[in-house]
Amino acid sequence: MAATMTFQSPVRISLIAGRFLVFDIEGVMILRKHHGLCGVLTGTMPQNPTQNLFLGLPQELRAEEARLLVDRGAAYIADESSDHLAKLKEMSGPDSKRREEYLRELKERRRTAKKLFDEEKEMVKKQFEGKRAKPKKEKGKKEGGPSLLKASAESVVKSAALKETLPAITPSTSNAMLGASGTSGAVPDEDLPGSSAFYRYLNERGYFMTPGLRFGGDYSYYPGDCLRYHAHYLSNCYGWNDKIPMLDIVTSGRLGTAVKKSFMFGAEREEEGKKEGDVRMFCVEWAGM
Amino acid sequence: MTLNQRTEALSKIVLNNLQHQHDWTNLKTHSQLNLPRTIIYGLPPKRLYVHPDEQVEIIKAEKEMGGDRIAQEAELEWVLPLHLSEKWSPAQFAAVFDALESRPPGSPDITREEEEKSPWLAWKGSRRGKRVLLATVQDDSTVTYYWIHEGLVKPRQN
Repeated sequence: MAATMTFQSPVRISLIAGRFLVFDIEGVMILRKHHGLCGVLTGTMPQNPTQNLFLGLPQELRAEEARLLVDRGAAYIADESSDHLAKLKEMSGPDSKRREEYLRELKERRRTAKKLFDEEKEMVKKQFEGKRAKPKKEKGKKEGGPSLLKASAESVVKSAALKETLPAITPSTSNAMLGASGTSGAVPDEDLPGSSAFYRYLNERGYFMTPGLRFGGDYSYYPGDCLRYHAHYLSNCYGWNDKIPMLDIVTSGRLGTAVKKSFMFGAEREEEGKKEGDVRMFCVEWAGM
Repeated sequence: MTLNQRTEALSKIVLNNLQHQHDWTNLKTHSQLNLPRTIIYGLPPKRLYVHPDEQVEIIKAEKEMGGDRIAQEAELEWVLPLHLSEKWSPAQFAAVFDALESRPPGSPDITREEEEKSPWLAWKGSRRGKRVLLATVQDDSTVTYYWIHEGLVKPRQN
């Protein structure tokens, strides 16, 4: 609806209880279309919270996904609990500028509501007149009274406008309180999982990622949008010097082949304990012998 | 047993298995200073790996030629013997790939003209990625073989 016109990038990512959530459908679409990110839909219906087949908004993002978007300037993170208190503080106090703005905004809304009411009234009136037009004409000729009636009605409307009685409204959102987008939250380096560089490398090459449990790995990677393609890789990410049991490689390779995927594992290169952002990866497939 | 003797025994098992169970020929061992261990290379009885993109090119070429099949000759392949109880890190795998050429020594040369004439040939020459056959040995002398490719290589459509 109106959201398409008013939507502003960057996308707002709400940080709630340590989870990164996107509540705006437009935001979800932008992330998917332009940033190769499909996230996980987590919202269920309040009336039937046990159904978990068809989930909707909000969309949950991983920390590394949120960080990537922030670094690209495509999104900002709003720490909801601290934001809430901060904004409330800004609103309190009689000389608060934010408060004044909010009141002005409210008044504006009430004016719009009144305008809409009036328009509607006018339309009903016109309809009403149109229906009665024919009999009225004859009556008017006979009595000559309607012009007088009309004039008195107009004067009543005018006097009402002078007082400007605005209708009371109940705002359904508090967007006006929010004001300009803030960047209250961040994804600090220590919150990022070890697979962050690995994810970034693949995202830059157009791969989509979904959680990988259903194919037996940590992640599954798709060569494009996950609704258009089958996953190519089931994937694990290790540390550069993590010891991987050979049985894990063999079983994952075997499992990958069984589901027509290749088992891809990788790590971020480390030189003397220092990470360099350089990623190496290897793909394992059954050799067929 | 020292570590060296152990890896030597491992190589022997894999060599035996390749030669007698899988009919490989031209089997040789290959050691290099920067390689974590001795590696094997040899010629399988038939071609073991065809990249999915190469397969597309072969099918295209076969269609153009009027449906005749293009004979696929076997290629020399690297084999890395490992025991199931071992644990390798990504760093060790990276070291193996960094030390190796994509084609084992003695692979036939393919000239640029040949590659231009028949594009699928490039997958045996300049476009061949680094791959190693992972030979995992169990104590009961079972050997399983898995390809391990360097970088992102899309899966084959088996």
